[in-house]
Amino acid sequence: MAAETDTRNRNPLVRDDASGTGLVAAGAVGLSALLFVVSLAVLFQAVDLTDAVAGVPVVTLLGGGLVVLGAATVAFGVGSRLGFVETEPQASAGMLAGVVFAATWVVVAGLVASQTLGLGTAGWLVASLAVGGGVFALSVGTREDVGSTVPAGALAAMAGLVFLAGIIGPEWVWDLGFEQKASFTGGFTVPTVTLFCSLVAGWASAKAYGGFGARGRHTGAYTLVYLNAGSIVGVLFLLLAFTVFKGISGLVNGFAVGLGAGPESTIVLLGQSISWEWPFYLPFVMNGVGLTNDFNGVLPAIVGTVWLVVGAVLFAVPLGVGAAVFLTEYAERGRFTQAVEVATNGLWSTPSIVFGLFGFAFLIPRFGNGKSLLSGMLTLGFMLLPLVVITSREAMLSVPDEYRDASAALGVTKWQTIRSVVLPAALPGVVTGIILGVGRIAGETAPILLTMAGGVFVPGSQTPDVIGGFAFTSTPPFVENPVLLDAASALPYQLYALITAGVGASGNVANPDEFKWATALVLLVVVLSFYAIGIAARYYFRRELNQ
Amino acid sequence: MGVEKAARVLRGIRDSLEDEEPAAVATVGVMAGALLASLVGFLLVSSLTIVPFGIFVVTAGYGWLRHQELTAKTLALAMTVSTILILLLITAFIFREAVPVIEYETATVFGVAVPGLRLFIQPEWEAVTPPVRYSMVPMIHGTVLVTLIATAVAAPLGIAAALFISEIAPAPVREAVKPGVEILAGIPSIVYGFIGFTILSPWASDQFQILGQGTYLFVGIVVGLMALPTVVSVAEDALASVPESMKSGSLAMGTTDWQTMTSITLPAAFSGVSAAVLLGVGRAIGETMAATVMLRGVPRLTDPLYNAFYGQETLTSLIARNYGEAEGLQMSALFVAGVILFITVLFLSIGSQYIEARMRSKLGGEQ
Repeated sequence: MAAETDTRNRNPLVRDDASGTGLVAAGAVGLSALLFVVSLAVLFQAVDLTDAVAGVPVVTLLGGGLVVLGAATVAFGVGSRLGFVETEPQASAGMLAGVVFAATWVVVAGLVASQTLGLGTAGWLVASLAVGGGVFALSVGTREDVGSTVPAGALAAMAGLVFLAGIIGPEWVWDLGFEQKASFTGGFTVPTVTLFCSLVAGWASAKAYGGFGARGRHTGAYTLVYLNAGSIVGVLFLLLAFTVFKGISGLVNGFAVGLGAGPESTIVLLGQSISWEWPFYLPFVMNGVGLTNDFNGVLPAIVGTVWLVVGAVLFAVPLGVGAAVFLTEYAERGRFTQAVEVATNGLWSTPSIVFGLFGFAFLIPRFGNGKSLLSGMLTLGFMLLPLVVITSREAMLSVPDEYRDASAALGVTKWQTIRSVVLPAALPGVVTGIILGVGRIAGETAPILLTMAGGVFVPGSQTPDVIGGFAFTSTPPFVENPVLLDAASALPYQLYALITAGVGASGNVANPDEFKWATALVLLVVVLSFYAIGIAARYYFRRELNQ
Repeated sequence: MGVEKAARVLRGIRDSLEDEEPAAVATVGVMAGALLASLVGFLLVSSLTIVPFGIFVVTAGYGWLRHQELTAKTLALAMTVSTILILLLITAFIFREAVPVIEYETATVFGVAVPGLRLFIQPEWEAVTPPVRYSMVPMIHGTVLVTLIATAVAAPLGIAAALFISEIAPAPVREAVKPGVEILAGIPSIVYGFIGFTILSPWASDQFQILGQGTYLFVGIVVGLMALPTVVSVAEDALASVPESMKSGSLAMGTTDWQTMTSITLPAAFSGVSAAVLLGVGRAIGETMAATVMLRGVPRLTDPLYNAFYGQETLTSLIARNYGEAEGLQMSALFVAGVILFITVLFLSIGSQYIEARMRSKLGGEQ
């Protein structure tokens, strides 16, 4: 913490020190950011390479930008070496920079020698190693201001010149000559090379902006780390926004609000039936698929997912919490607890498809020899179990020993201490862990693929009604529930089935594409709401604790 | 060692039982016996399993009311044993199902018949027309390629993000980025796969002029993105466990934050960070759905071997794609794929736990 405030106080000082020449470095950083964004736009085909901006094609703009960026980077470095700019460079740019630059130049020289000049294997090997060695010597052997700017700037400038000269342009194609055909096209190469060069040159000029030396490296590294964190969050938002954008139209199809707009629901509880009418109608989550439906939906899959989660939680939570109680409160640390720890961690990282195989081999023959809701529940329960054990253990370990001692001093037994002191104190952590674990299993497809299955377009009549399915019989096992032993659908499985069903299978659904995206959106909403609740609960409990 | 351990546990149980009332011990004994009997019944696929299970429930209920102390402890012990039992059951059952094809694919080397060897020495997967041949080579190749690409994505980005969250970000930014990474882990793999299948795969085919759809390259990138949160959260824990005094000591020498990170924090947390990468690799190996919907589903090697622009099949996608129509030997071959996955990931998990334990003892944590 102290370090952060420290930096924040120091950074403005550096900026005050920087003279007008610092603007060159700052400008170079800005230019690389701009090139980075533009090349991303080209890569995702938001902009075409041949599009003209102010009469100049984008590919020329990128090339020109790279040349300017490279020139500015080199100029700043050389200017610093000649003493025009005041910096604090170290004697060498360091091994890391040397290796990065050398590796890049080995690839560049190798490609130029083998593809452009057409040298043989020996020829391009010698050429690339010579260039790489030279660059390594340049960046490690010279003072930092030259060593860390010139290789980067030269790379950017060269790439820019190649684009400007039209050697690599939108129409350029390099067939790799593989048996299974693949080529690099200009549409991919130009923005990717620009992206890479802007990163390298941006890093170099950020170092320059910080005045080289320890401070400069700090600035350069922080630029990249911030960029990385920003990109991760950006990708997350992109994924979410994209799914919402594509799925929302299918989801709200036929949406209506008003008294009596929705379907009637009935719950039978202790012989009393309660029914009500929903004040709104969202057909996609209230209907199955059927010929007579005005709008089709995924209700059976939603109900299936809910029952899956309920079943898995009922199985895994008592088992997991009990195991955690034994491990933290009763057992002494030794081989046994260690074995359990290794087993739970091993179970936690076991691939979900292996759980599916296990359910297929172990559960299915024991529950009616067919895919069933019950097998799916238990398989997901097996997956949830290690997570419950791990998080509950952590929560119980974080309960201070003073609590236990105080309770024991009152003369109560160990179990009473656990029940009335440890468990309540650990409850927030346990609950949060369970909610996050449920979020994970609710979105799992692979285990239920082999154990539960379901259809592609599921009619509303196949909505599982587990409570109504229980019945007593006179033969063992005396209780039966055909609903539990039937195949059922769940959201992630249905999405998978929709994807693999291909174009032909449309059921009664008018627009299968819209239906798929809406299913993906509903799945995302269901899973992420578990995460949102879990994360919010953690914040809430932490605030309560801190007060 | 196992027998010894069991004997020690039994002795421990007997010692602790000596102080208890005989009635309580009897109840717990009936309970444990009934539970064991129902387990045996369940394993033997008997419809009478419900009888001992009913007895267990009744005795447990009675014990809970009359001898809560001992009943609770016994139940907790039974639950603990069940976690180990599940791991053993998984091992036993997937191995058992894998045996037929291992016997079928026996190959002879220097006159010695090695069961299962032919699964690994020839790359032909031919499940329909005789001679029927099963081979794991193409799928292992696919899994290795995907995992390499995924690790190249997840390891550097994940470690940088962990540094950011743990050391660099100001508190409000951290509070925003951390849940963001968690939510990235929460997006179901089938949604990643769907976006990859509908958006990335056609785009890649277009950009690289590939015939058809499905490339290891983009499956690897997507899987790397999915393994990223695992790397971030475990590496962040490791970085946070480096004692504050070590960092302050370095900062007091007048170093920059970045110098402290590269010369103190990262080296001290190195083993924890590598454990994070190992766990991320495990996640990438086991990732199923994105690979299944994005790959071609043709079990063969790419040509040349390093041609990552074509995506054929991985171990996980082989299982997910073929379980439906597979029977007999082919189903058994899918279980072999499962066994390979299970063992590999289990070793990665144990390896990373070992590394983490060593790091904890080195830094002198709580244990």
